[in-house]
Amino acid sequence: MLRNGGKKNDDPMKQKKDLLVMWLLLLTASGFSQKTDMVLIPDGNFVPFIKGQTTSIKVQSFWMDENPVTNAEFIAFVIANPQWKPENVKSIFADKDYLSHWKDTIVNSNTISGEKFPVVNVSWFAANDYCKSVGKRLPTMYEWEYAGASLPEGSNDNKILNELITRWYSRQNTGLSNVGSIYRNQFGVWDMYGQIWEWVYDFNSISSNEDSRNKEEIPEGFFCGSAALNASDASDYVTFIRYAFRSSLKGEYTVRKLGFRCAKNVESED
Amino acid sequence: MKKILILIAVILVVGCQNKKEEVKSCCSTNKSLIAAQETVLLPDNSVYNLDRKWQNQNGEKVSLAKLSGSPVIMTMIFTHCEYACPMMVNDLKKIEASFSEVERDRFRFVLVSFDDQRDTPKRLKDYAEVQNLGKNWILLHGDAEQVKELSVILQISYNKLEDGSFSHANRKLVLDQNGIIVFGQDGLQANSWPVVGAIRNVF
Repeated sequence: MLRNGGKKNDDPMKQKKDLLVMWLLLLTASGFSQKTDMVLIPDGNFVPFIKGQTTSIKVQSFWMDENPVTNAEFIAFVIANPQWKPENVKSIFADKDYLSHWKDTIVNSNTISGEKFPVVNVSWFAANDYCKSVGKRLPTMYEWEYAGASLPEGSNDNKILNELITRWYSRQNTGLSNVGSIYRNQFGVWDMYGQIWEWVYDFNSISSNEDSRNKEEIPEGFFCGSAALNASDASDYVTFIRYAFRSSLKGEYTVRKLGFRCAKNVESED
Repeated sequence: MKKILILIAVILVVGCQNKKEEVKSCCSTNKSLIAAQETVLLPDNSVYNLDRKWQNQNGEKVSLAKLSGSPVIMTMIFTHCEYACPMMVNDLKKIEASFSEVERDRFRFVLVSFDDQRDTPKRLKDYAEVQNLGKNWILLHGDAEQVKELSVILQISYNKLEDGSFSHANRKLVLDQNGIIVFGQDGLQANSWPVVGAIRNVF
């Protein structure tokens, strides 16, 4: 490692230390508090994209984070739970790109920004453990889809939401911005679309009518094309993309635009 | 002067945060997925890093790390499953039959139940008897959370249905002595030989 003259800044451990120190400063500077506002999502029915043609799913009332988890919140978690530091994390729980953006944006450019950006490059295991550490859990896929279907505040036209999503999906290379800056929906939840993709608890569920009685070798739900045939609204292209994306994930994957927010049962609030 | 002030600020902040860290880590360890201190030193990519207590068909509490030492064929089933799971167990029996008596003692079958509600250790024991599973078969019961975690690692997709049953992928995996996945096979009534080969490879 010291072959190139051992320049101090080439030492990855040193960089990581610097990174943590800078983040600590940042946290203090931004008056960081661990309390994240949650919104009560009322119960209701919705027709999930892939679940036979007409089956409506009842979603019970639950609490959902108003915003996705931010870099500042996640660094506090990593400090309290050192097994989640990038240098400690086990490869079965997070791949090599885990939190790689911290290094790029914080260490290399030597600027402190993005503390209120949604955290990305986190695995399902990291997200799941984060939510548990604050007494919450990841939302289920149905909860997330149900909350996400709520239209932007002050709008009553489905088209507006669909256009917003389509526009966003078509320009995935834009940078991130602070949470709470895209749109608030009628449940009072911010930025379900427009910034990042989000982990859900049961991302590995089979999103089709496949069941264990089927003798076929590979469940049909594993294939985007056949799953699409089950779609309740085949024109719902944007939803289809989301389901296809989820089914392509593995628990240890980290993705540049994939973050999360937490949820909570109504009972556990008391 | 400015530099000194910054330095003091850094010391104060780091000092405070370190204290916070100690307090937080003491209290959050229990909730954490991974124990900070592993008693068994496992490779980073071992499935057995999932540090949860399961119950086997004899009602004994076991951790996955206890499985290390010999290769394992692992799959997930539920005992109320009428078609796919018995077929899966049949497939596994066929695999077992490909080995000599002596060889069979050198690896284990591990069936993990999706059904955290109905598949109690007692129920799993009855199932093992009805299915005539030998002593090298381990059936595991866990809570919904640990079942989900394991399914994510094994890439076994599933859904709980309204009637309490499960739709699930039929996937079996070969794990080496350290719990590293060395082979995975999807589907029912699949060829035994790739699995047999994978086991022999890690003997």
